[in-house]
Amino acid sequence: MNQLSKQKKIQFWALTLLFFILPVVFLLLKSTVLNFGFGRNEDIEFSFIGWETLFSESQLIHATLVSLGIGALVVFLNLSIGLLAGKALAFYSFKGKSVIESLFLLPLIVPLLAIAMGIHVAMIRIGLSDTWIGVVLIHLVPTIPYSIKMLQSGYASIGTGMLQQAQVLGTNRWHRFFSVELPLLMPSIRSTVFLIFVISLSQYVITAIIGGGNVVTLAMIYFPFLDSAGSTVLAAFSTWFALLPILFYLSMELLLSLLPYQNPWRTRL
Amino acid sequence: MKLSETNKAWVLLTPALLFLSLPAYGLFSAIWTSLHENGSFTTKHYRVLFQQEAFWESVGYSVRITLIATVLSLLLGLLLTRAFTSIIQSTKGKLSIWLPMLFPHFVWGYIVLLLFEQSGLISHSLVEMGLISSTSSFPIMTNDQNGIGIILTYVGKETPFVVLMLLPIYAKQQTGYKDLVQTLGGGKWAAFKDAEWPWVFPVLLEAGIILFAFILSAYEVPFLLGATFPEMISVLTYDWFYSGDWNERPLAFASMIITSILIGIVSFIAFSAMNRKRMLLTKGQD
Repeated sequence: MNQLSKQKKIQFWALTLLFFILPVVFLLLKSTVLNFGFGRNEDIEFSFIGWETLFSESQLIHATLVSLGIGALVVFLNLSIGLLAGKALAFYSFKGKSVIESLFLLPLIVPLLAIAMGIHVAMIRIGLSDTWIGVVLIHLVPTIPYSIKMLQSGYASIGTGMLQQAQVLGTNRWHRFFSVELPLLMPSIRSTVFLIFVISLSQYVITAIIGGGNVVTLAMIYFPFLDSAGSTVLAAFSTWFALLPILFYLSMELLLSLLPYQNPWRTRL
Repeated sequence: MKLSETNKAWVLLTPALLFLSLPAYGLFSAIWTSLHENGSFTTKHYRVLFQQEAFWESVGYSVRITLIATVLSLLLGLLLTRAFTSIIQSTKGKLSIWLPMLFPHFVWGYIVLLLFEQSGLISHSLVEMGLISSTSSFPIMTNDQNGIGIILTYVGKETPFVVLMLLPIYAKQQTGYKDLVQTLGGGKWAAFKDAEWPWVFPVLLEAGIILFAFILSAYEVPFLLGATFPEMISVLTYDWFYSGDWNERPLAFASMIITSILIGIVSFIAFSAMNRKRMLLTKGQD
């Protein structure tokens, strides 16, 4: 039995190494290695020139800030809408619930391109096209369904017991939310924040249509870079895309640690 | 009491329902635009669209690539989750298998490009090892006519997604039903078919529909890794939408509506298959 599980472990790591980890490691190497010495007898040369070139682009810092701002707002709206809807779907049974649940899946099934093209004219009419608000709104379409789903299962896994207990003890709604629901939901909220931020960062075509080239997110400058920049700079840029969600996540954690019950030093005492 | 409880659910759902008006408006506006010219109803755009050779080529090409990428992702995701449930549940396992989810699709596409293009890592390594004489004898796998690069990108990105969807099922799986099958003299196949598949199938189907719809209509990856001809439907649509020729814009709307209808038909077939299965499942529980 032990032998078998050890063999399985080796199989698992061989597979993930080959298909998921090594490609990423190669990307990291590519951003710092100028040549791999193929065909020539030169030595492998390390350099940060790719990263330097990337950050010397004045657009990059600006686009990073725009992406962070849009991502943060998209995440906030997702949590607000997702927590409410997730609670309703997890705890209440009502007529038409299964219809509502499949309706929330629809934005993932209807082509995003069709939705963005359709909304575009309306956005022009009400003055939201070419603005970051318009871009935030269109980024909600591919994200909200995931938030609702993840937070619904989060609520379902904590169950009603704890909440009823708090209610019996005479807490009000806000108190209950901040001291019972939020701490218990933390794992689901963490994964939601992460996933939603990555999805928002990945949107090129709908940002281009609604933002009209005026809202310059990171994705908007990545595509022109593909034609003009060298592979070292592009590899650095690609890595930057993965670093941002991690940075965003860490700063979220830092913010959350300010909440009294999340303080790791206190709970460890 | 009962009524107020129900009302509370609807109050909680209000912001989410308001949000739904956004994609709903977008879709209906796209349908309306595809059926009108200068304010009056017409089916002209569809007739013009159906006469375009490029459109039909594109539909066939897109559906083929989408089906291959979806089925491969589902299969690999299922096999990985089944075989390694306990390892994936550990933090290390989670981090490693969900690593691709950290990257946008187009960045994963760029990684595929770096690895598989003719001047890429694999090709160079094979030359170094003496397995092929020069990089030009490495098969063309990116920006190719068969969409291999697109498929590789999607399989790499979506397999972890399928694992994410399936993991809760396998983590919660009780051995009781399997033991029952074994006690009744059933083999491994019977245990899979009767004690595993009924729970896995609905989730697999849902993931499959999401993937099919996404891959069929996403723009970024085929733009990066596709060939000039045939193009995937999203790339063709985007070209029409932004072409200088104002007459081509309605074609973009019409082609996206046809794509939506295609996705709708596939989802309908899939969901009715699932409902039949669900019905049998609940019947069995009575």
